[in-house]
Amino acid sequence: MNQVRRLLPDFGTTSSPTSVERLKERGFAEALRKVFAMSGEDIISQITESGIKGRGGAAFPTGLKWSSVYKAPGETKYVVMNADESELGTFKDRVLLEEDPLGALVGVLIAAHAVGAKKAFCYIRGEYRDVENRMAEALDTLRSQGWVGPDRVDVQIRRGAGAYIAGEETALFNSIEGKRPEPRVKPPFPTIKGLWASPTLIQNVETLANVAVLFAHDTEWFKQYGTKETIGTKLVAISGHVKQPGVYEVPFGMSLTDILNAPDLGGGIAGSGRLGAMLLGGAAGTFLTPEEIAKSSLDYASLGAVGANIGSGAVMVFDDTVDLVGVTTRLARFFAEESCGQCVPCRVGTQRVVELIENDGIQSRPQDLRELGLAMRDASICGLGQTAPLALLSLLDRPELRQHA
Amino acid sequence: MDSENGTVSDAVKVLLHDIPRERGQLLPALWRVVEQYREITPELIGAVSESLNIPYAEVYGVASFYSLFDNPGGKMPVYVCTDVMCMLQGSENLKHAAESAAENGPVTIRESACLGQCDYAPAAWSGARVLRRATPEEIVSVVKEAGQ
Repeated sequence: MNQVRRLLPDFGTTSSPTSVERLKERGFAEALRKVFAMSGEDIISQITESGIKGRGGAAFPTGLKWSSVYKAPGETKYVVMNADESELGTFKDRVLLEEDPLGALVGVLIAAHAVGAKKAFCYIRGEYRDVENRMAEALDTLRSQGWVGPDRVDVQIRRGAGAYIAGEETALFNSIEGKRPEPRVKPPFPTIKGLWASPTLIQNVETLANVAVLFAHDTEWFKQYGTKETIGTKLVAISGHVKQPGVYEVPFGMSLTDILNAPDLGGGIAGSGRLGAMLLGGAAGTFLTPEEIAKSSLDYASLGAVGANIGSGAVMVFDDTVDLVGVTTRLARFFAEESCGQCVPCRVGTQRVVELIENDGIQSRPQDLRELGLAMRDASICGLGQTAPLALLSLLDRPELRQHA
Repeated sequence: MDSENGTVSDAVKVLLHDIPRERGQLLPALWRVVEQYREITPELIGAVSESLNIPYAEVYGVASFYSLFDNPGGKMPVYVCTDVMCMLQGSENLKHAAESAAENGPVTIRESACLGQCDYAPAAWSGARVLRRATPEEIVSVVKEAGQ
């Protein structure tokens, strides 16, 4: 077995995902009892000791973030779960919330208790209506058990309405506040000034699920998997030309080759049967060649050596017949469509990239594309504009991937 | 869409009667309006503005930002994912089949960015139902069903 089942429930689990029985079976009921008897400091020091990092893409140390919100001055604090999963090729939070919605919600409650928040929001993309319903059911279960409510933590679900940028944390705050979901300039960071200018802890679904399983067990148990640098497991969403696309939980440090080929993971290359490339981390990710894939593993240092990042855990696989320039053109159109238009490098840059690729091809003006991409990376307000050119730049750096151009 | 009892403005007031008059309730309020009317017209923006006491321009700015609120004509939308993974699995065929089935009917076909169903590409979404590993035959039947 290469896959692990910790964030995702064991294969043998038969209880309904939103039931009280599941809450007990997964150890979450006990975890809540334990945590609500602990002080904020003790909870946060256990999080820090576990080494959990954010799983939404930025890998920021979770303990440090919680501590910052805890210490931030302010009467009112908020916790937000970011389930606005809209990154291309990313569907791990959907599967996690389908299979075990109580985990991430228990994480929200633990977070709220730890940092002293009385109110929490779960922001979910509008296209995940079934998942939203399941989340609401799970919330009802927690309410019936006395964990959710005005005297403990008031939790509200907010439904997005089709805006990729709303997944950016400060844009998400604006969306909840009833404003246009345009990103804010940072600093101030959300831990100091987030929702309604109050200290706010915002975390990805998977990070919160990690918190829940940590407190359902202990730090020693939590550290059983992973590498020295990166502790724990990661959900990877494998799509494209593999025999078994899907979401799998694997320890950090697993080789990319195993992720693609192991019989209980990707199951081998589909399509032509010959690996062409991998786009790791979503639309804002990096293309890797088969040689780079062969020598890399799922860890920040290993991937950093080939200029890539785990990101949200999206693993998009292409056989050797796919026109990657065509893929990149589609990505460029996506960013041009989804740019909020607030800042010039992104608003104009994403449009110029599309024009350059569509009119002249990726080969004709590589230097102009590169300079444009670097200007966007350096000068955009938020992550969308900063990372929009990354996949394109990675393709420019790997001429062997452009045999179809 | 005027009812016997009053104007759109009154109808929206009734529709939003239990939503607190707070700026933070604008997105839930717009969702409720869209679920009722399937589109957001200038008249409806005015009604929401009045109902929640938020300036018209502000409501317009928010409503026009979101792609799921962008449905001029108010037909029943069916979304076909045309992003990279679905594109590789034949979303173009799916879209064409859906478009032919929808022609001159009460359903409109819209392209969608990644729906987060890449493990079941190609995918489509009818608002209520997600179609996984969708076939042209299946989407045609969904379009026909949605139109009834």
